Parts: sequence; structure tokens; C-alpha cells
Amino acid sequence: MTPPLNPTPSRRVRREPGEGLLAFFLLLPAAALLLGVLLFPMLTTFRDSLYLNKLTEPWLTGFVGLGQYAQMLGDARFGAALRNTLFFGVLTVGGSFLVGVPMALAAHLPGRARDVVRVALLLPWAMPPVITGLIFAWLFNAQYGVFNDLLVRAGVIQEPLRWLSTPGLSVLAMVLTIVWKTSSFVALIVLGGLQGIPKEMIEAAQVDGATPTQTFFRVILPLLAPSLAVAFIFRTISAVQVFDIPYTFIQQAPAQGLLETLGVYIYRTGIEFLDFGYAAALSVALFALSLAVTAVYVRFVRDGGNS
Amino acid sequence: MSGDTPPRRLTPAQRAGRSAALAALIVGGFFPFIWMVLTSLKSEGELQKFPVQYLPSKLDFSNYARVFSEQPFAQFFLNSMTVSLLSTVLCIAAAVPAAYALARLNLRGRGLLMTAVVTFSMLPVVSLLVPMFRLMRGANLLNTYPALILPYAALSLPIGILTLVAFFSAIPRDLEAAAMVDGTTRVGALTRVVLPLSTPGVVTAALLVFVNSWNEFLLALSFNTKLSMRTVSVGVTLYQGEFAFPWPLIAAAVVVATVPLVLLIAIFQRRFVAGLTAGGVKA
Repeated sequence: MTPPLNPTPSRRVRREPGEGLLAFFLLLPAAALLLGVLLFPMLTTFRDSLYLNKLTEPWLTGFVGLGQYAQMLGDARFGAALRNTLFFGVLTVGGSFLVGVPMALAAHLPGRARDVVRVALLLPWAMPPVITGLIFAWLFNAQYGVFNDLLVRAGVIQEPLRWLSTPGLSVLAMVLTIVWKTSSFVALIVLGGLQGIPKEMIEAAQVDGATPTQTFFRVILPLLAPSLAVAFIFRTISAVQVFDIPYTFIQQAPAQGLLETLGVYIYRTGIEFLDFGYAAALSVALFALSLAVTAVYVRFVRDGGNS
Repeated sequence: MSGDTPPRRLTPAQRAGRSAALAALIVGGFFPFIWMVLTSLKSEGELQKFPVQYLPSKLDFSNYARVFSEQPFAQFFLNSMTVSLLSTVLCIAAAVPAAYALARLNLRGRGLLMTAVVTFSMLPVVSLLVPMFRLMRGANLLNTYPALILPYAALSLPIGILTLVAFFSAIPRDLEAAAMVDGTTRVGALTRVVLPLSTPGVVTAALLVFVNSWNEFLLALSFNTKLSMRTVSVGVTLYQGEFAFPWPLIAAAVVVATVPLVLLIAIFQRRFVAGLTAGGVKA
């Protein structure tokens, strides 16, 4: 089942007197929180992006219009961060589906271990991202890490690998970590989709002599399409914004450049270099990227992906 | 919810495949957490062995004592509890009436409001960090609980509303109509009919908010910088020295920080998975 954007009003109830006023009061607390705590800072970001405001060079202030956006276009580090973000996005979204969909199918199987399976599914999803980053950095440790140990014992490698200080390997390590953390989310959504498929449809296919493979590709997969689409869009949005795990990895990985995502670059620009104006311009770029994906989502749900 | 597959005989190969898949899922989900528990019980010396020694030779709980003595971790824990619980209460208190209005009242511009809610749920936190920081500083809230409670409640509000709208919409309107014919007001219909029937939805939404708030790192790192105001997600990162990572100690802190989540998940897993899959989730 997909997130409910359009629970169709089953029947138009006549508007009662005073219903508009009631609606106003019911929506007021939520609106106050959203507008005051989220919308106001967001609008501030737009305004800030047009002004120079760098604490390390306080004499440089004033309205620069789109100047900082122009700066962004010529900023190689921004280009790299954007490329890294998209690269990680493709690998981690793809990876989380490769792992998450089979996980959902396994979790959907009947069995006595059902409760344990559910907990195993929820744990990675609920684990704080920063802590996930810490744990995996330890698992990937060059000297005492479990992954090296298992690979050496299995005879795949002779010498322990320096996961976090070898550029290519550090990227792989981070991708694996994010995939572990996010596959659960994909699995939960897909599991919801699986549970929404009427048993009769699968039985009918089997009665008609379909092999399990045929049943999966001809019956189950098409019915899962809306869940898969929703999981894909939500995962893409979180991938574009990824911050916590790269942030923890960078603390321990000398090969940082390849791990810097757009989120991390914004953080460093604003908090470490204290360049609030430029950080705001970078933030607007990230808004734009997130909103583009969101627009696809809204459109998808509007167009009746809500089966 | 139909959890069972249709009755059919599995071949031994299929049964083995099923067991292998489930075992992989369970090991994969639990392994990093269990590894942290094992690491937390080791001494520093035992840790620095390769090939890795998987089980500690004797259980050494001293790391847990050090977690609380080297940093005010009990205070971090209390801070996280307070912030997470209060942001959950605030978020649900705002989400319930809003979701009811969106699910039930004939609102003009309802589609637009729902689109706005979805859009709010997608805002990247890191982009809001600096202006939010200034907002909190302006309101003199830095290093207070509200500095985290307000943003956490607001950030989880969209997903809370979306989850509750799903649950409220699933309740037959006739039930409310009947109650209202019997003389209850709209608000009475909400509190006496809809709300009791959507307890699973409220529990799911509340758990989502709690988990999000407990796990949040960036705002907690930036807004509450006084040691006595730190939360556990930031707290676990405070044990690392400039050059050294005292892993057994960090592992013990990680275990303490994740215990509430593991407990919540173990207790509510049935209801939670059903609620998540019914309402849709955002990671």
C-alpha cells in the first residue's frame, strides 16, 4: 500500500455550519509549527543566498543577487560533491532494492521465526544513522575489522584491506553501510505491498499451472509496482540528502574527497568555514534537487499510483 | 493482513532455500548490533588481535561503568528521553486534529494542503540548519530542550499527519455520522469514535516521531553545545580522542544509546510493521 495522498472522499457530506471555522482551529497548531519552524527558515535561506555573509571575512557583506549561484557554477568542490551525491545515490538506491526486495519476500514467508524476522527488519531502519556510521567504520577497520577477518579466513584476500584509507574501497565501504541501513526501509514498504496482494490471485495462478517464477514475474511483481515506486522515490529523496553516515565516515577516512556529499559540503561551508551566504546558496541547490524528486512523487500519487 | 502463503507443499530444496533466506535476513539485521555488544565486553588488549577473537574470553563490564564516568552519559540519556518524549507529544497533539480535518472535513483546497504536507516532509535538515540556528538564537533557546523539541516535532509532523490521515480515512464515516445523529459534536466524534478506533495509527505515528527524534544528530550537535544539554546520538561521538578511538568504550555507549530503540521495536514490532505498511513510511 502506498502513502495515502488521496483517500477518496467516499461521499460528499454537506458542509455543516461552522465547519470552516472548525477546520481552521484543527489545522492551526500544525500550521503554526510547520510555518514557524520549517517554512520561515526555508524562506530565510532563499534570502540569505542573495547576500554575502561570511564570518571569517566580515567586511564583505551586501546584496550580491545571484552572485553566489554563479560562484557555485565555477566551484569544483561543489561539482565534485554533486557528482558524489548522485553517484552514491545511484549505487545505494540500487543496492537497497537488490537487498531489500528479497528481504521483503523472505519476511513474507510463513514460519515460526516471524517475530524475530520483524525485529531484524526494523533494527537497521531504527538504528541512528550516526551510530550506524560508527559501527560500520569499526567493522571496516583495517587492523581489527571483522570484514577483513572474514575475508582473510575465507581466503578471498591475503592481507587485510585498508578500507577507509583507500579511495575506491572507502567509497565501497560507505555504499555497503548505507545499503545495510536503507534496505530495511525498502523491505518494509515492499512487505506492505506483498501483504496487500490477495491470496486468491496467487492461488489462481498456481491452479492455472504457473511456476513460482512465472507467478512472481507475471502476478506478484505487477501488483507490487506501486509499492516499489513509492519506495524508490522516498529512497531517492533520502539519498540526495544523505548526511549523517558520510559525516561519520569522513571523520575516519583520510580519503575524504570522494566521500563528500552535497549535504556534508553544505554543513562544512556553513558551520566549519562560517560562510553562511554561500551555504545558503548551496542549500537552495539541495532544496531544488529534493523538490524535483518530490514533484515526481506528488505527480505519481496524483495520477493514481495509489492503487 | 494475510501473512500466510497459500497451502502448498514445499520441496526440501525450497524449504532449505526459505530457511537460508530467513537466516540471512536475521543475521544481517542483528549482526552489527550484536557485534557492538560483544565488542563492549572486551578489553582494549583483546580487541587488538588479528585474526579477530569473536567472543570475549571473560565478560568485562567495566566499559559500561566508564561510559557513565567519563562523560555525563546518564544526563545525555535523560536529555534524549525528555526531548524525544516531549517532541512526540507535541507532534501528535498537532497531527491528530490536522489529520482529522484533512481526512474528514470538506476542505476547500484540500489537495493543495496535502501537497504542502508532502513537500514539508521532504525538506533537507542540513539546508535549514543555519537559519534555524539563528531562529533559535534569536529566541534565546540555544542549549534548552525547546531548541530541539520544536524542530523535531515540526520535522516529523508531515509524516505523522500522512500516517494518521491514512488511518482516519479507513474508518467508516457512518460510525461518526451515527454518533453525530445521537447528538455528539464533530469534536466528540473525533475523540470518542475515530481516535479510539485508530489507536494503532497513533501508536505507529508516535513511534515514528520518537525514533526520528532519538536518532537526530545534526541539530542536536549544533544547537545544544553545552555538555549538560547533549543528547545520546551526539554523546556517543564524544569518546573519541583526537587520534584514538577507544572502541570498547564507544561500543558500550552505542549499546546504551540503542537499548530504548531495541526495546520499543521488540515490544511493538507486530503493530508497528502493520502500521508502517498500512500508512507508508519515510526513512
